[in-house]
Amino acid sequence: MIRLLNFLGDHFIGIINTSGSMTLMFLDSLRLMFVRPFRVKLLFKQIEFIGVNSLTVIILTGSFTGMVFAFQSYIGFQKFGAEQIVGTVVALGMARELGPVLSAIMVAARAGSAMTAEIGTMKVTEQVDALNALGVDPVQYLFVPRILAGFIVMPMLNAIAVFCGIVGGFVVSITVLGINKTLYLEYMFQFIELGDFINGMVKAFVFGGIVTLVGCYKGYMTTGGAEGVGKSTTESVVMASVMILVFDYVLTAFMF
Amino acid sequence: MEYALECIDVHKSFGRHQIHKGINLKVVKGAITYIIGPSGTGKSVLLKQLCGLMPPTKGRVIVNGKDLTSLNRNELVNMRKKFGILFQNAALFDSMNVFQNVAFPLVEHSKMSKDEIAKTVTEKLRLVGMKDVEDKMPSELSGGMRKRVGLDRAIALNPDIILYDEPTTGLDPIMCDVVDTLIHDTQKQLGVTSIVISHDIESTLKIADYIAMLYDGKVVLYGTPEDFKNTDNPYVKQFFSASKEGPISII
Ligand SMILES: Nc1ncnc2c1ncn2[C@@H]1O[C@H](COP(=O)(O)OP(=O)(O)O)[C@@H](O)[C@H]1O
Ligand SMILES: [Mg+2]
Repeated sequence: MIRLLNFLGDHFIGIINTSGSMTLMFLDSLRLMFVRPFRVKLLFKQIEFIGVNSLTVIILTGSFTGMVFAFQSYIGFQKFGAEQIVGTVVALGMARELGPVLSAIMVAARAGSAMTAEIGTMKVTEQVDALNALGVDPVQYLFVPRILAGFIVMPMLNAIAVFCGIVGGFVVSITVLGINKTLYLEYMFQFIELGDFINGMVKAFVFGGIVTLVGCYKGYMTTGGAEGVGKSTTESVVMASVMILVFDYVLTAFMF
Repeated sequence: MEYALECIDVHKSFGRHQIHKGINLKVVKGAITYIIGPSGTGKSVLLKQLCGLMPPTKGRVIVNGKDLTSLNRNELVNMRKKFGILFQNAALFDSMNVFQNVAFPLVEHSKMSKDEIAKTVTEKLRLVGMKDVEDKMPSELSGGMRKRVGLDRAIALNPDIILYDEPTTGLDPIMCDVVDTLIHDTQKQLGVTSIVISHDIESTLKIADYIAMLYDGKVVLYGTPEDFKNTDNPYVKQFFSASKEGPISII
């Protein structure tokens, strides 16, 4: 019993500790975004890195989620003859919820983990020390371009995911489910608002920061050679995913 | 005598693992000081504390009259520009090629033009006996080549204090001599303070002005090469005779 409490206590302290140092790192990165030198080249490299790494997987998840979503909601709405509303539901769900969350989790799995592995390797091979030794702040050099890129790219990827989802849902609804095309589109455009998309974009923006911050932080804290890099990489994906879901709730509650 | 760097009662632990148990060391300005000792005694860890890459658990490190432990991060980053560091495994940036690695400090901190940087880099590489390697990636280089590139990167900004972490380990005898000569010449030409970590007793005795031997978290002997040749200190004798018999325990 005492051991259990002890374990829980340690765990709890660990979480508080990590949140604290991560928040500090984040604030530091924010501050350093406005301090010279501005590393534009690195920023573009990271934008490309996150984008290229994640694009295919985001198109695929976006489309298939929209398709499945159309199917599932059809089953429900068909029962009271409201099939034509499927389009609205798919668009709303994709724009407000599934687009940002799924694309962020995919980016965490593809780009976030790769960031952790890269920075983690730099840490254990003393390259981070070397940066420091050469008078370059590693937080500015490594964190800032990545986090900025996350803020910029994530909303774009979200837009692509949402678009693919809506198109996927549309195609399935018309071809497979045989819903009336005109009604489908009419209802969709009538009930969906710009605010729904903005809502999702705000989420995507925040998630972009989370994924890249966790990716950098976990890499930066890596110790213990190649094994440590592997461990950090896994932890990075898990931690980012959990944080995305928690913040998704918080943001939804706030913007309701 | 003037000191470039002083350790005062430096303690360092990682969790329960005590590495340094009170190190006192004064590094003479403009001289070459060797730090020797068996593997795993914390020579690399000491080096990182000397340049503020790692804070001591207890004690102080004074550089040019300033206590490193009292500086904030910005001041530390600036202070480190005074140091050139060659890391044990060179720590080249593996996302950059050789040219970009050596050019890195120049691009970051000097006002040189692209052409000047290109010229300086080629010159520096030639200095350590390397040619036509600019486009190679670090993963394509041998350990010895990486070390030489790392050395070039470390001295690119003409630092006041150069720290070498085992610069000759893993090099062939000829390359060892080249690097030894380089350390010696750099020191003579630039009047820098050099701190060298080494296992190589022969070159230590040849080049060092002062030697400190580290064992079990403390400096067991500090002195000139003459002192080391004539000492009765059992740790030093064992280390110098490369014998497994003696007070240094092999775990
Ligand atoms: N960042 C670190 N975290 C925990 N232990 C470390 C760390 N760096 C070094 N050590 C430990 O400190 C001891 C001394 O290491 P080091 O200074 O590399 O020895 P050496 O004298 O061979 O250079 C080793 O036992 C090593 O495991
Ligand atoms: Mg070492």
